[in-house]
Amino acid sequence: MNSVLSNKKAICIFVIPTLALFFIIVFVPIVVSSYYSLLDWNGVGRGAFIGLKNYVEMFTSTRALNAMKNSLLFAGASIFIQLPISLLLALILASGVKGEGFYRTVYFIPVLISTVVIAQLWSKIYNADYGLLNTLLKSVGLGYLAQDWLGQTSTALAASFVPTLWQYVGYHMLLMYAGAKSISKDIYEAARIDGASSARIAFSVTIPLMKPILKVCLVFSMIGALKVFDLVYVLTNGGPFFTTEVPSTLMYTTIFDTYRYGYGSAFSVFIIVECLAFTLLINKFFKTE
Amino acid sequence: MKGIIGKTAGVVLALGILCSTAACSGGSSQTAASGPAAGSAAAGGDGEIKLALWDQSVGETDPTAKILPEVVSQWNKDHPNIQVERTGTTGEQYKTKIKTALAANEAPDVFYGMGGGSFMQPYIQAGNVLVLDQYVSDETKSKMRSGMLSGCQVNGKIYTLPCYTHLANLYVNTALFKKAGAKVPTTFDELLEAVTKLKAANITPAVIGEKDRWPGMYWFDIMAMRQAGNDACIAAFKDPAKFNSPDFIEAANKMQKLAKAGMFNSSMFSMSYDEMLAAFNAGNAAMLFQANWVNAGIEDDSSKTKGNVEVVIFPVFTDGKGKASEFYGGGQDGFYINSSTKNPKEAAEFLTYLSEELGSKGYLAGAGLPCWNTDSLDTSKLSTLDKTDAKLLDTGTSFITWWDNILPAESAEIHKNLIAELLASKITPEDFCKQMAQLKATELTF
Repeated sequence: MNSVLSNKKAICIFVIPTLALFFIIVFVPIVVSSYYSLLDWNGVGRGAFIGLKNYVEMFTSTRALNAMKNSLLFAGASIFIQLPISLLLALILASGVKGEGFYRTVYFIPVLISTVVIAQLWSKIYNADYGLLNTLLKSVGLGYLAQDWLGQTSTALAASFVPTLWQYVGYHMLLMYAGAKSISKDIYEAARIDGASSARIAFSVTIPLMKPILKVCLVFSMIGALKVFDLVYVLTNGGPFFTTEVPSTLMYTTIFDTYRYGYGSAFSVFIIVECLAFTLLINKFFKTE
Repeated sequence: MKGIIGKTAGVVLALGILCSTAACSGGSSQTAASGPAAGSAAAGGDGEIKLALWDQSVGETDPTAKILPEVVSQWNKDHPNIQVERTGTTGEQYKTKIKTALAANEAPDVFYGMGGGSFMQPYIQAGNVLVLDQYVSDETKSKMRSGMLSGCQVNGKIYTLPCYTHLANLYVNTALFKKAGAKVPTTFDELLEAVTKLKAANITPAVIGEKDRWPGMYWFDIMAMRQAGNDACIAAFKDPAKFNSPDFIEAANKMQKLAKAGMFNSSMFSMSYDEMLAAFNAGNAAMLFQANWVNAGIEDDSSKTKGNVEVVIFPVFTDGKGKASEFYGGGQDGFYINSSTKNPKEAAEFLTYLSEELGSKGYLAGAGLPCWNTDSLDTSKLSTLDKTDAKLLDTGTSFITWWDNILPAESAEIHKNLIAELLASKITPEDFCKQMAQLKATELTF
């Protein structure tokens, strides 16, 4: 077996099927989209080549810039709100609380549910007429706070952040939990003998040793936020008045509602480049540290 | 190692190209097989003619999906020499399929075309669709309701025959009106008065599912038609600069007035179309402006409002140019014939049969309002709402179909977004009309 695995030809043969599949369903579409993004094309017949005009339009349109701003806010919320919560939960669970397995499963359940279901669930929670949130506020005497959460420009964006943050807390928690659990017990024992408190152990031992997994979580969370689509699409469809629009929902509307395949493709290219750039940035950041 | 990588990349590239070309040719040969090759090419033989029919009626809850196969098998029984082969594809996929087939000149003999809108326009102009004038007899024409054929014509030529149509009207919950002591409105002033009374009785006067944006568009469009009249609207579709005129500004102004008077639910921007129907059916609002496809839901046993809902024409504006006989809706979804079919006469014969049967049977099944004479039909099983809608259809002198079907796709989106802004008072009626004037002209001929 070892001799097979060290044979370079064999490696190539084993790698080719996956590589070919990846190439056809990921790489080729990206190249094709990049080409489409240079066209003025309505999806039927031949498109006209217009160079970078779609990109110029994208970076000058207030609607598109607003969508980009929203996705960056989304990414910020994921990193600075979602990940710390996940980390806290992971550390608590990993420290061996009672019912560890039970809580781990409970926090992970939202991840297993389809995003569309989550979005429907939350749109019912936010519903202005019979929603859980407004009913709750009214029943505890905070009725003046009850409002149409997803229907007004002031609250819609924040309200649409919450479900995704909530859904993926369990996912990142599980990754971090596994990371924390894989740290050798000996190190903890040594720390205890040195008289370190639980908080001290968490900050000086666990978190530094979890750096590789934290990087993975950061990348996943960042990319997930930048390309979020299904949740926003179901929850608000970018409304009201584009306040919750993100590049992917704008891309969808552009292509399927206004038949501008070229301009829509420019958005898809933008999302890919954006995700790649941030991944590289995060990798670099972790390397220099 | 470098050499290996290079080779691998080369092989992968070659494989990719191979696969993609294989996929392409596979796709097109399939289309060809189900195109006219399968239909008219097989015609020779023993004198039997085969016609291929494509449609999109496959949905489980779609009444047409039940009726269409029945109509086809009845035709095949009655006409042993002209056999029709039907292929059904679901909605969005159907659009792609028929577009591709038409572009490749591989369309079937008879096919469904999203009518009354911009969908068929390019193909009609490109000559892909058969002109039916010589095949439609006066007898057939006499069986149609007046005005129905004009929607099937482009530049005075007939391209399709009507099946059924839809009409938007005002749905009124009479129980709630009675509770508030309000009168069913027939003019704009009465509408405002009803709003005040309903509000006083703590009843939401009307619901809009503005998250989906088109339900709000229905309100503005009918108000524009009442204020400016159908002719002025049609003129504005052709030359959008005409949207920036006093009549349309007044229509926008009235719309905003209603919104400010609290006519619509405060949660409209987060409410979807489905939630809007649910709210109306649950008796949470007194009015709804929608097309007759909501009838089935209102008349359903699960609906709280069953029996309490009346359908009436939208109030007339005393200062407006629109008349009560001018309606929003009336567009036709019909079948078209491929201009390169080998059996145009037989195809037209089948099309006539299909349209008439579908029109009358579909009406009885609640699929839509009839475009054909219904005197001989037993309508006793139809709901009151359906029957009233059909009567209203008879009084119509002018119809304009959904504006988002008339305007080019991008302009239609802007139109809907502008109306949402109007409803939220983010824009003045004057600015609204200025921006409407920037839209692109319709590609349809009226």
